[in-house]
Amino acid sequence: MNEFYEGMAEVLEVDIDQISPAFELQNIDWNSLAIVSTIALVDECFDVLLNGRLLDACKTISDIENLIAAKKD
Amino acid sequence: MIQKIHAKVIDIASYLPDSILENDELAAIYPDWSAGKIYEKTGIKQRHIASKDQTAADLAYLAALNLFSRNKVKAENVDFIILCTQSPDYILPTSSCLLQNRLGISKNSGALDINLGCSGYVYGLSLAKGLIETGAAKCVLLLTADTYSKFIHPMDKSVRTLFGDGATATAITGIKSVDQFIGPFVFGTEGNGGLNLIVEAGLSRSPKTDKTALEVFDSSGNIRCKENLYMNGAEIMEFTLKEVPKAMATLLEKKGCKKDDVDYFILHQANKFILDALRKKLKISEAKLPIFLEHCGNTVSSSIPIVLEHMLNNGIFGNEKKLMLVGFGVGYSWAGCLLNFKIGE
Repeated sequence: MNEFYEGMAEVLEVDIDQISPAFELQNIDWNSLAIVSTIALVDECFDVLLNGRLLDACKTISDIENLIAAKKD
Repeated sequence: MIQKIHAKVIDIASYLPDSILENDELAAIYPDWSAGKIYEKTGIKQRHIASKDQTAADLAYLAALNLFSRNKVKAENVDFIILCTQSPDYILPTSSCLLQNRLGISKNSGALDINLGCSGYVYGLSLAKGLIETGAAKCVLLLTADTYSKFIHPMDKSVRTLFGDGATATAITGIKSVDQFIGPFVFGTEGNGGLNLIVEAGLSRSPKTDKTALEVFDSSGNIRCKENLYMNGAEIMEFTLKEVPKAMATLLEKKGCKKDDVDYFILHQANKFILDALRKKLKISEAKLPIFLEHCGNTVSSSIPIVLEHMLNNGIFGNEKKLMLVGFGVGYSWAGCLLNFKIGE
């Protein structure tokens, strides 16, 4: 999971310590570029392709993790 | 071993318009983006932009003149013109017909336009190969040209940071040989992705009206109207990561070779983050998957031949190299082929 959190910190341009499941995406600029970067990151870390519309609706990192878990099943 | 006529890429040239759009200029109008951030994310420092009265066919014309000035192929050798563009001069006539006249190419030549974007160069090579290897043509001039800048709203950073205008010209002729130089090919189409990269208004389905000219903000703060280029970056990323690796695997299987047998993977130069994501997924080294768009941005169907031209002019093709070309994007449309490339004969 570390690789994913490190990647998310980079994508969201925040400190790694700030990244946790509860991290609120609306507190930062959860824009189309961040979403595109997250799709690439998740694919790299988990070999899972997430849909942009579903990612756009995510409110927290935990929501993203739920999407990944659902896709893995 | 029986020798047959096989289509071969003989030479490539490009033309990029004079006017340049730098990251500094973009950063000044998009307050939350610095020039450094634009470069870091896209891998692009500048884009060339066609002037107001300069069309894609004008750029193709100048690319063809650049090709002829290299003296490997002359206008009088050409007996078929293929122009790949999504910005034709007119609804009709066909832009390549007008280019036949402007370039002084024999009237006993074929000419056709193909309306494709990022997959267009590989499609053009497949058509050229078909024409040459069936004896229908001897020397094909394959032109790629687009001026997406004319479709882009100045306040839409999602596309204005990425796309640049440009054109290329490739000469393909028949050479007697045992082995083929171009091929095999793979193609793919997924029309249900069409709306994710589109200029919606301006032609038959949705002619320009006051309503189509209405500018709206999107959730990322970009402005555009229905007459502008729209790209859903997330959908394009998902499509690319899903289909491009599969197409590449199919191509290797078709040829009966392995990834390591390919010297260079020349992928459509969409932007740095798509190419990096693909490279990581495909587990290909940076040296084997060139990223060459810093000076010109995403030039749509010209992006692959611009890389080839650069490698050619920098001596990378001194010995025969096995290349894999893959174009992917608007349509959705994708196409890949293998290309044996050797220069200096």
